[in-house]
Amino acid sequence: MKKKVLSTLLCVTMAATMFAGCGNNTTTNNSTTTDDAATNDVTTGTEEAAAPSGSGETISLRVWAAEEDQTLTNELIEKFKEANPDQTFDITVGVESEANAKDDILVDPEAAADVFAFANDQIVDLVNANVLQPVQDTETVSSQNVEGAVEAATVNDTLYAYPFSADNGYFLYYDSNVVTDPTNWDAILADCEAAGKKAGMVFASGWYNASFFYGAGFTTQLNADGSTTMDWNGTSVDGINGTDVAQAMLDIATNPAFLPITDGDTANQIATGTLGAIVSGTWDAAAVQEAFGDGYAATVLPTYTCAGQQVPMGSAAGYKMIGVNANSAQVGWAMELALFLTNEESQAARFEQRQIGPSNITAGEAPEVQENIAIAAVVAQNAANGVVQSVGNNYWDPTQSFGEIMAQGNPDGTDLQTLLDNLVEAVAQPVQ
Amino acid sequence: MMGKRKIINSVLMHVALVVLAIIWLTPIVWLVVTSFSGYDGMNTSRFFPETWSIRNYTRVLFESDTVSQFPVWFKNTLIIAIFVCLISTSFVLMMSYAMSCMRFKGRKAIMNAAVMLQLFPGFLSMIAIYFILKSVNLTNSHIGMILVYSGGSALGYLVAKGFFDTIPASLREAAYIEGASEARTFLTIVLPLSKPIIVYTVINSFLMPWTDFVFAKIILNSGISTDWTVAIGLYNMLNRTLIPTYFSRFCASGVLVGIPIGILFVIMQKFYVEGITGGSVKG
Amino acid sequence: MGACMSENVKTKKENPAAEFFRSIGAFFKEFGEAVAKGDWGVKASLVVMGAGYWKRKQIVKGVLVTLLEIAVILYTVLIGIPYISQLGTLGEVERAMVYNPETMKNEVNDYDNSLLILLFGVISLSFLVVAVLLWFANVRNTYRLQKLAESGKHINTFREDCSAMLNDKFHFTLLALPVLGVVIFNVMPLIVMICIAFTNYDQNHMPPAQLFTWVGLENFKSLFTTSLTMTFGYTFWKILGWTLLWAVFATFTTYFGGIILALMINSKLTKLKKMWRTLFVASISIPQFVTLLLLRNFFANNGLANTFCASVGITDFFKNLGWITTDYIPFLTDPVWAKCTIVVINIWVGVPYLMLIATGVLMNIPEELKESAKIDGANPFQIFRKITMPYMFFITGPYLVTQFTANINNFNVIYLLTQDVYTTTDQKLAASSGKEIDLLVTWLYRLTSEQYNYKMASVIGICVFIVCAVITLFAFNFLIKGDKEETFQ
Repeated sequence: MKKKVLSTLLCVTMAATMFAGCGNNTTTNNSTTTDDAATNDVTTGTEEAAAPSGSGETISLRVWAAEEDQTLTNELIEKFKEANPDQTFDITVGVESEANAKDDILVDPEAAADVFAFANDQIVDLVNANVLQPVQDTETVSSQNVEGAVEAATVNDTLYAYPFSADNGYFLYYDSNVVTDPTNWDAILADCEAAGKKAGMVFASGWYNASFFYGAGFTTQLNADGSTTMDWNGTSVDGINGTDVAQAMLDIATNPAFLPITDGDTANQIATGTLGAIVSGTWDAAAVQEAFGDGYAATVLPTYTCAGQQVPMGSAAGYKMIGVNANSAQVGWAMELALFLTNEESQAARFEQRQIGPSNITAGEAPEVQENIAIAAVVAQNAANGVVQSVGNNYWDPTQSFGEIMAQGNPDGTDLQTLLDNLVEAVAQPVQ
Repeated sequence: MMGKRKIINSVLMHVALVVLAIIWLTPIVWLVVTSFSGYDGMNTSRFFPETWSIRNYTRVLFESDTVSQFPVWFKNTLIIAIFVCLISTSFVLMMSYAMSCMRFKGRKAIMNAAVMLQLFPGFLSMIAIYFILKSVNLTNSHIGMILVYSGGSALGYLVAKGFFDTIPASLREAAYIEGASEARTFLTIVLPLSKPIIVYTVINSFLMPWTDFVFAKIILNSGISTDWTVAIGLYNMLNRTLIPTYFSRFCASGVLVGIPIGILFVIMQKFYVEGITGGSVKG
Repeated sequence: MGACMSENVKTKKENPAAEFFRSIGAFFKEFGEAVAKGDWGVKASLVVMGAGYWKRKQIVKGVLVTLLEIAVILYTVLIGIPYISQLGTLGEVERAMVYNPETMKNEVNDYDNSLLILLFGVISLSFLVVAVLLWFANVRNTYRLQKLAESGKHINTFREDCSAMLNDKFHFTLLALPVLGVVIFNVMPLIVMICIAFTNYDQNHMPPAQLFTWVGLENFKSLFTTSLTMTFGYTFWKILGWTLLWAVFATFTTYFGGIILALMINSKLTKLKKMWRTLFVASISIPQFVTLLLLRNFFANNGLANTFCASVGITDFFKNLGWITTDYIPFLTDPVWAKCTIVVINIWVGVPYLMLIATGVLMNIPEELKESAKIDGANPFQIFRKITMPYMFFITGPYLVTQFTANINNFNVIYLLTQDVYTTTDQKLAASSGKEIDLLVTWLYRLTSEQYNYKMASVIGICVFIVCAVITLFAFNFLIKGDKEETFQ
């Protein structure tokens, strides 16, 4: 008896798998006909799931926001629902850091969130992959936000994203008990050395180390094929040689009071308490404040000595923005939500909760914002010589490598001109 | 004279073992003491924390936030692991029995193909698997994860086959003579003798969902952290921006994951050793 | 199974290959005979697959087979053909989107998705091939039934067929699901990814918004050329070199480490054997990625290991020796140091496993062998060299080979220890996103996850396969002779 039951069972399973095998594939084209094969509990995918529009329709949206922004985003979404009482919404919030958004979106843009936050260095790749829905209400966005933010959200004259913060750049934090003259590197390093402290900066990153070159009048430019044209191996419009800039970086790096930091390790280094000054951004404000105590101060980047003259450092201005996924089934409502999440009130709320410097002009003029030491510094830095970095995907690895060579004091003693030539060549590769 | 030398040797041996054990346990001890530390981030200046507390554990277990959802992750991973374990173990045992104890056309061909398939780096096919799952709407689901982990598991049949090879053929022949079917022989003669290799396979397949973060990250891509497995969740905690606030909770979660696995290992150690050595006799 | 067999022909020597083709010949010969000499039932089953069975009163089997036929035809017509027909071009209509403010939605044209075309084209095509083979086999089977009937032999009922599935044909029952799983989750994806090596699927050609297409051997050419701007060739050879070196070191250090540890624990001199074993096994119980991420922070430039070394003066000592120029020991940030650290950490990770295996094998060494050697006056070291090691090699040889290829593909250790930590100072490597400490697989992974360069990743994947295949074939043919399969049974 037992044998019989078993044998019928096995036959049934075999037959079932045969058909399930086929059944699985019949469902590929038409996701609505999933019957027995798809006994899953998945939330509806972004593929054309929705039926015709009408006011009775529930608008399902998925939002990606940074870990730290979860509470705020949920609050703002509630307000958004209140502002649109005629519609029913089903909005879920997922976690995705602004710095890595691109990496996860590009794997499968169709599965990515409808509305997501990202940092402006990713915009070119996102636009190339046709992920970003162009902004419809360009008038509102460009009139309400600071010029640099709008510029950063624009690619090929089309506005692609909704800026919400203008504080994603770097500047100089210093301990006023240690550093008396924060205007130039030589003085900062001397003060730090005297106090037994160090001055830190990330060299091994094309985002940070470009500041030396931008300040000296060098440029980077993104080409249509995704390659980057840079002139760092030549002479800038200001008449400064690239090799002199590199030498200046080396001089700083080899100073015993200088501490090269790896990108992402800044918070750790600040916490060790060995620093008297550091080039970083608002994300480290709390940590710096704790480490520097009453000496906590921030200002624009210092000048550096380049072939005998003082050259100001430029900076890659950073903005954070919200993008709308062009693959979204509810792209119209997604844009409404994006607009709402980046409007003046939302930006003001974001500053209040998280001390994020608004890109909105009116919100940025509020006295509390102006009084915030770190935000004041980043705004001043952007105004002084902030550059919206326009580079391709092949820019990052070579500049990181170059920065690391500088940070290590050029251990092989390679000719600086050769290093710069290699760098320029490498970033000039078309993206593939 | 001889005895004295023996004692010296024995002492030397134990000293060496103590040194090695210290080396092997240092990171584990660091994990444990950090998990009991009184602060959030990493301590780079001292091995043992200055302040002790069990707050990391209480936070990990009872106070979930968007970053740390340990109880949910644990539940997800446990469910996935149990199913993966059941499916993989049956697949591996079925495949190995067929390959070891039966002779049929195409047997060698399948064996060679299995060897070839394993020489390709696994995540080369990640993207293709993702889109296959997506087309049947199984991304972001536990079923999808279970399928990914157990689907190709039959390829790992070699060790189990090696073990079956060591079971004397005479036992099976006796069963045939008594009129037992092939299926009955498999279930009542061979399986009961295969406890070590079953344990080995169970442990290995059970561990897979706890350690993989590459596939899991691609397939569970909704960004909703309650969908995650322990591996993605913990990996995410060491994100640059999160590490200063979550490092000690990462350690606590690591310990919590390690305890059940460790117990499993210690209890099953004997079988594990027998299983793998029986199997690798003929790899 | 047909696919497995054909794929496999290459690895075998002439004899099996010839046998394989002969069996194919026989298959088609029988089919021809069936068509020529079959009765109406056999001929009808050329169209309706169940017909032959119905004639022999195998109703259920006939229904099942016919249902399968209908399913396959429906699938092919509805889904298969559209995909297969586009395989040649991988799609021609690029996506275009227009926003419609009225409906608040994007209006999308009927665009082609190259990746889906490739994926389902390949799957449908293989389906079709299998279906056609099944059809041939089906006609042949019905003809066999006819012959059985003609010679007056018994024809199985459905129930008997089922019970055969548990007896002579039990391997079909056993293998159906496992092989299906492997085909869906290994074979199909692999074929697709191999195909991608011959396309231009990269960041500028990413579905769904863009199309990609076939480019022939273009990607293989760029892998092996190093020009001013193309450094893939340089990077490839450099990384391949380290990959092989790593595989050798990683395999043998853990192998001998494990054996030595096992010998120590199992030595007659050692007390509390079980406790020692458990202590070392404890390090396995924490998931590997947790310990590796932990160790990455432990060995960071400002990590605990450096704090310790600085406080006991090791850092200064190394500095005086000229081994380091920095104030810290660059455990994971200098090419040479990082390679050493990674190998050492890998020993830490791998030795407990090997210790377990070696313990088991050592227990099986016949005591008489050792005793007689002792009587012959061999010292412990000689016993180890002349008896223990050869025995270990003999038993674990195949394991060693698989371990070697597994180390070539050892992603976790390298990736988790160096990601975000290691920065290369070799500008040529940086230009192709490679690093000195990268293995081919980690390079491949970063090319896909950071650069979306799927085409080059596929090419590298194929190269990894070739390297592994050569090593495996070499090892199995020259180092491990003979097939011990039957000797133990």
